[in-house]
Amino acid sequence: MQFTRSNKLDCRFGGIPGSFTAVQMLFWLPVLAWLLPMIANAQVSQHSSAVLEVGAQAIGVVTRESPAIQGRALTEGYVTQPAIMAELDPWNGLFSLKGTLNLEGATLKRGELNAGIAGEGYIDRRHPHTYLHEIVLTSAKRFGVDGVSGASITVGKGFAPFGTDDPMERPFEKYPINHHLAQILERAVAIGALRTGRLIFEGGAFNGDEPTGPGDTPNRNRYWDSWSGRITFVPWPQGEFQTSYARVKSPENPTGGGADQRKQSASIRLEDSQHSGYALFEWARTGDYVGSARTFAFTSLLAETWARYDRLNGALRIERTERPDEQRLVDAFRTPIPATDLSIAGRSRWTIVTARAALSLVNVRAFTIEPFAEVARARVSPTLRPSGFDPRQFYGSDRIWSVSVGAKLAFGMSHMRMGRYGVATTRKPDAKMGGMKMEDM
Amino acid sequence: MRFAIPTCAIFLLACGSDNPVTPGPGSHDLTIFGTGRVSDRYTGEIWVKGNVAYTTTWGFRSAPGNAVKIWDVLGEVPTLVDSLIVPNASTLGDVQASDDGQLLVVATEFSPGSIMIYSLANPVKPQLITRYTTALTDPGVHTAEVQRVNGRLYAFLCIDPSSVSPARLVIVDLTDPAVPTQVFTAVMGSPYVHDVFVRDGILITALWNQGITIWDIGGAGAGTVANPIALGSVITVGGQAHNVWWFHNAVTGEKRYAFVGEEGHGAIGVSASGDIHVVDVSNFASPREVAFFHVDGAGTHNFSVDENRGILYAAYYNGGVRAIDITGDLSSCADADKSQDGRCDLAKMNRELAHGPNGVGPVYIWGVQLVGLRVYASDMLNGIWKLGPASFPPD
Repeated sequence: MQFTRSNKLDCRFGGIPGSFTAVQMLFWLPVLAWLLPMIANAQVSQHSSAVLEVGAQAIGVVTRESPAIQGRALTEGYVTQPAIMAELDPWNGLFSLKGTLNLEGATLKRGELNAGIAGEGYIDRRHPHTYLHEIVLTSAKRFGVDGVSGASITVGKGFAPFGTDDPMERPFEKYPINHHLAQILERAVAIGALRTGRLIFEGGAFNGDEPTGPGDTPNRNRYWDSWSGRITFVPWPQGEFQTSYARVKSPENPTGGGADQRKQSASIRLEDSQHSGYALFEWARTGDYVGSARTFAFTSLLAETWARYDRLNGALRIERTERPDEQRLVDAFRTPIPATDLSIAGRSRWTIVTARAALSLVNVRAFTIEPFAEVARARVSPTLRPSGFDPRQFYGSDRIWSVSVGAKLAFGMSHMRMGRYGVATTRKPDAKMGGMKMEDM
Repeated sequence: MRFAIPTCAIFLLACGSDNPVTPGPGSHDLTIFGTGRVSDRYTGEIWVKGNVAYTTTWGFRSAPGNAVKIWDVLGEVPTLVDSLIVPNASTLGDVQASDDGQLLVVATEFSPGSIMIYSLANPVKPQLITRYTTALTDPGVHTAEVQRVNGRLYAFLCIDPSSVSPARLVIVDLTDPAVPTQVFTAVMGSPYVHDVFVRDGILITALWNQGITIWDIGGAGAGTVANPIALGSVITVGGQAHNVWWFHNAVTGEKRYAFVGEEGHGAIGVSASGDIHVVDVSNFASPREVAFFHVDGAGTHNFSVDENRGILYAAYYNGGVRAIDITGDLSSCADADKSQDGRCDLAKMNRELAHGPNGVGPVYIWGVQLVGLRVYASDMLNGIWKLGPASFPPD
């Protein structure tokens, strides 16, 4: 089992030959991003007139979690969130292609320590995303004098119109554990969006099945069996209010027959006009259903804020999320896909406070190096008693500390507002915020 | 005030009860003789052979579910004698001894799926003969039914689905337990095949949302274990068909009813759902559901039947063990005892005879087995219970 080296730094990279190190990965990703547009003989630019934009990023991080399991601490190193992003927009939005390759399948096969998170067969470790994280074709038509109103359609593989932005484009390296309550991603999607001034309406159909591994693709026989809709109100350029709803068919059983989900989300997102501060307040709830009968519900409340001062930036996140506790495999950080029945072992409530500080060391010619440190304290308690999952017995404590230090390397474009397409997002970024890209809504 | 007193009384009764799941009217308490506590692991299935009981373990408490607990049940209080630890297993969901008492078979899950085959030459010191695992037993063997068909011993393995492979049934010949041989396999279940029942050359598979299917494996003249032939099937109301018991009434010789357990959603320790469905299988080609038994707030799991007295003992998770009168014609009842779809409601017919264990705090009963004059129950939260049987006819 992988957690036997409990007090040693464990820098093995799942699926990567031993000679391929984290340093090499961090070096080659930006180089690859720089070379790609040259190969394509295309323009790489931060300006909105660019036909092709390409970017890449990766984070090297060491995490110590105590206790991680059975009273034991674990210290591990990863290359996480390695991604190459590209957007081709030759006709000013009439047709545009956006894609993201995510290489976590190579670097995070065992998952990344992230106490409390669960999904896609991983628990207390964040799962790797699929290699083809996103590839969508969007056609948008703007109308009106405000320059933002318009309509668009999007097809491809990507995010369903639901919930908030993907955590990969938010301030923290460690994901919030409500990822599977607050976003629906890596699906075959068909999305229509309409923006009229301050209101954005989106509706989409997609396949309900979640990915079951980095190389997985949406099941064809599940295409369009699920749907979602999102309404966003943009009262001023730096603020937005969204509410969304989704019905997802058997997400955790790829062949169908598992529990369905009905998901709700509401959020307020704020950003100052200098793009030096940001805040998000989020509520999300997922109800599991068998037929029309609700079996369990899981709720999340999250608030996070970020601020930049010169080269320094810092962030704080407070999250309270309920999680289904499931049967585990011999590797106690994994759960069976699909589950063997419709029951859960328990439902735990996680209250996690995460603080982050970062320093922008290099930020020239679209090349960014940002060292950071994150500290998180989680408190976990069962919401059902007695329970088939007792956190104290399992972890050895109901309080878990996590410390992460690392550096983010990024080059070129960054993915903006991951989770929105076409007129549901603005056409080009106009500002940059440390490791994040913010945009003018 | 008129409503306050009864309201308060109901509230106090509910809060004062160890178990909020209400027993049926006239249901007696099952006598508790003793308990063997297990607190390091969640307890799974039970099998009792003679004076020895074997309980499996599930999930992860302070230790993983990789242990088989061995109990001396000669006295009224089960005494832990020993434990088997199964490597590379996180749940041992099923255990059964062969009819001749020579072998103990344990199903393992996640991953690899396998069965552990032990010699019971010394019942309290099982010796591993072999571990049977193949690509087709992955990711886990959910249950392993050990039965003899035409003189040969077989294990019927219900295999969990994975993200890349659907659920399936694998039948293994255990004639030479050191060299188990696969004789049949087929994909079945939607999405699960959780359990089977084998008797008189008839195989009944519990196929979740596909209900049950009855197969001839040598009892009806055409099929064999290596070539089962489907005779008929029925989708029980609500699906989620999990387990089956084909009742042979020892008094009348009648073989009319199969009892099907529905495993609905639940949370370990606090809630469960799912009814017992009574299927008339007098015509294998067209089985039909005629009755059901429902407990508010609880759901059923595994069964054991006293075929001499016509009592079904059903594990009911947070509802404890329920003893149900299954004698007579279960398909006919007064209109008042019928559901809207015309099935007889055994609860309304006051057929619940007894329940238990009571007064012991929360229980979550996984399995039950009647042996002699004692009812043994495995409790995920507490371990093993030794109970008295239901009085029937009632005292």
